[in-house]
Amino acid sequence: MLEYLAQLTLNGLITGTILALTGVGASLVFGIQRVANFAHGEYMTFGVYVALVLNVGFRQDLVISAVGAMAATAVLAVGIHFAVLRPLRGRGLVALSLITVGLALMLRHLLFLVAGAGIHQYRIDQTAVFDLRIIRVSPGQAVAMAVTVIVAPVVALFLARTSVGKAMRAVSDNRDLAGISGIDVDRIGAYVWLLAGALAGLGGVMFAVVQGPFDPNLGSQVLFLIFTTVVLGGIGSAYGALVGGIVLGLVMDLSTWSGFAGGLDARFRPVLAFAVLILLLLYRPQGLFGKARVL
Amino acid sequence: MLEVTAISKRFGGLTAVSEVSFSVEAGSVTALIGPNGAGKTTVFNLVSGFLRPDGGTIRFAGRSIDRWRADTIARAGLVRVFQAPRVPTRMSVLENMLLAAKHQPGERLALSLFAPRRVARREGEIRRRALEILELIHLQHLADAYAGTLSGGQRKLLELGRALMVEPQMILLDEPMAGVAPVLALQLLDHIQQLRNRRGVTVFVIEHDMEVVMSISERVIVMDEGRVIADGSPEAIQNDERVIEAYLGRLAPDGKPEPGGTTP
Amino acid sequence: MDILNPAFWTFVALIAGIYVIFSLGLYVQFSLAGLPNFGHVAFMAVAAYTMAILVVRYSVSLQVAAALGVAAAVCLGLVLGIPSLRLRADYLAIATVAGGEIVRYLAMNLPGLTGGPLGSIGLLGPGNIASYNQEWQGLLDRLTAALSIPLGRSATRDLAMALLVWALAGTLLVVFWRLERSPWGRVLKAIREDETAATAVGKNVFAFKMQALVLGAVLGALAGLLLAWQIGVFSPDDYQPTLTFYAYLILILGGMNRLWAIPVGAAAFSLLYSGTRFMDFFPLSLINSGSRAFLRLFLVGLLLVLFMALRPEGLLGNRRELLLEK
Repeated sequence: MLEYLAQLTLNGLITGTILALTGVGASLVFGIQRVANFAHGEYMTFGVYVALVLNVGFRQDLVISAVGAMAATAVLAVGIHFAVLRPLRGRGLVALSLITVGLALMLRHLLFLVAGAGIHQYRIDQTAVFDLRIIRVSPGQAVAMAVTVIVAPVVALFLARTSVGKAMRAVSDNRDLAGISGIDVDRIGAYVWLLAGALAGLGGVMFAVVQGPFDPNLGSQVLFLIFTTVVLGGIGSAYGALVGGIVLGLVMDLSTWSGFAGGLDARFRPVLAFAVLILLLLYRPQGLFGKARVL
Repeated sequence: MLEVTAISKRFGGLTAVSEVSFSVEAGSVTALIGPNGAGKTTVFNLVSGFLRPDGGTIRFAGRSIDRWRADTIARAGLVRVFQAPRVPTRMSVLENMLLAAKHQPGERLALSLFAPRRVARREGEIRRRALEILELIHLQHLADAYAGTLSGGQRKLLELGRALMVEPQMILLDEPMAGVAPVLALQLLDHIQQLRNRRGVTVFVIEHDMEVVMSISERVIVMDEGRVIADGSPEAIQNDERVIEAYLGRLAPDGKPEPGGTTP
Repeated sequence: MDILNPAFWTFVALIAGIYVIFSLGLYVQFSLAGLPNFGHVAFMAVAAYTMAILVVRYSVSLQVAAALGVAAAVCLGLVLGIPSLRLRADYLAIATVAGGEIVRYLAMNLPGLTGGPLGSIGLLGPGNIASYNQEWQGLLDRLTAALSIPLGRSATRDLAMALLVWALAGTLLVVFWRLERSPWGRVLKAIREDETAATAVGKNVFAFKMQALVLGAVLGALAGLLLAWQIGVFSPDDYQPTLTFYAYLILILGGMNRLWAIPVGAAAFSLLYSGTRFMDFFPLSLINSGSRAFLRLFLVGLLLVLFMALRPEGLLGNRRELLLEK
């Protein structure tokens, strides 16, 4: 019983930190650009496939593939920002959301056309398992944990200590105030897309590593978990997304524990996430750490 | 006509309105004045139902309305006109007027589909009334223009006209003179007085222009920092120490400033 | 299939007609009432599933099952609408997609109720093949027989279906056109522009929005039923969020706020859709038929982006109204 709980906690933490890392980028972007980016999942998928090409096609190890994915996705994100989103900024929230939906469809199906509908997998031996008595860790999970332990503090430090990081948080928190205090909002906006793209690429790769087999639908499956993370942590709050992601990951996995009145069937975890998202939007749109903006 | 008793409103840590009580006589023109941030617009929002009071009661024409929705209050005869004119820009002036009509059965879904003749007949009546009012406020030549093409002053006139379509017993005017060219301002002023004189509509107006306030209102209510600090005739208010202090901050060291022209 | 084959065109017309009804439902919610419902497909799903379950498991007659299917969609609209109508536009968009996805996930994972991933075939449990379509096919056969008197051999089931669908679509278009120009439509227009102004002149904004939502649900349900009857089977995968965005694309092609552009948009969309499925000439012949689905969806996305970006007034619209921003 307790072992099972420990295992669920580990799984939840791992999912949670992946959500948290991706969520940081997404939250900053949502906070600054103020548009629900329905293509964020596809940015992740894009990173996943770049890493696939590097890992399987060019026989690079996973670390280099991940770094390559981060770089490529960062470029993609910034490129789309300059080419499509920035010029059309004045069109209104719904119009921009529709445009991101269109971009998502394009990206996803371009990947389908290029990579085919079949599933792929990175070159990790998924059959090996580290048995630590009360918990078992798959190689994918081990990699994810290692990445998190390294990357998460780096990101947190970047946001807390560097001037660019602080500027990002300022713009995301209150765009007008930041502009008045001399921050070049446009430039920071572009940097945020770079960061968000890189984190999306990394997050995607981590998801793929933990999950094992994947196809171009990976991003769209995760998109709403990212949205929930962002809203839960408070739109625009980077630290909020870190906390929100971990909370969401833990809640989703722990909800299946039999100790909670039999537990939720694992198949319904996404439904739980959707329900949480809807409830948050309805009753506490500022999430945990966001500001209660007057809607 | 309007009785407000001890209403309050807090926003987070900020108390915008605190224990405010006053009443507005039927058929009068009453002004609500006070420095910026005194809570005047909040009071308007509370009275017209756009905000819920945290405490206190509001009675209009004998009925308790503090729990009512804003649209119900408007239909009951208490109509709010906003400081920044809210006129749907992509509708024509005439459409704006037609919109505001009470009792158009065509606004009910079922009747719109199944009782077209009744709807059309009522629409004709409403149209005539709208054009009459437009003539009154000298906007009839713009009836088919998009409201978005009107100047600020013209939009204010339109909002006034629209308020009239709702057959109000009382109108809340929020700074009607603000940002309006002097020529139109005179027209507005005239219309406001006609509202009371010809149609018996009670007027409750927030205004900063003291000349206007003094010339048209029978009673003045003064607010500062969320409270009512004075309530009386324009002459009495002018000489009230508390009012002067509120507007000027502190009394000058050598005594009160000159009162406005009348012997105390 | 060759482009000159009348069966192809009948099929295009048929799908176009169903999408007219579907998109009209979205039009009422979005273009008339200003509600960006990104989960419109859920109305289709709920209606189709309700109808199928009632017919297959409880042997309910077609008309009653259909009526109850529409009622179920209306219930969904009410349940979703009452709390969420006060949400800001983009939050409403996210909440409605999430709502639609909940419906789809539940359909996928409650095999006892919905047949699970198998969809309508699985409604009678494993090992049985369930079908809900007999009564409808019977109806179509009678109609086809009636049509064959004037038309002889050209009278096919698809043609009968297409005529039925377009009769319904045409009627609905006229009804909603009149509604749009009625005082009811005028209030909605004002609500779209400025809710506060509408409230200040005494309109119950919530009630009007709710009415638009419910009407949209009814139309979505009708489209869902017709589609289910046409195809004969369905599964949760047929109700992906993508379908809602087909409807948005159709509205966008028509410029978002012209009701009579909907048939044009639907026809263009249906042609794109069926064309990539059935036509075999270059350059489509380069892509195998399995991958054509991806191409189709890629094009949908591309068109969404291009039209929203470059031609928001659609194929037929005018820019004048668009320019009068607040």
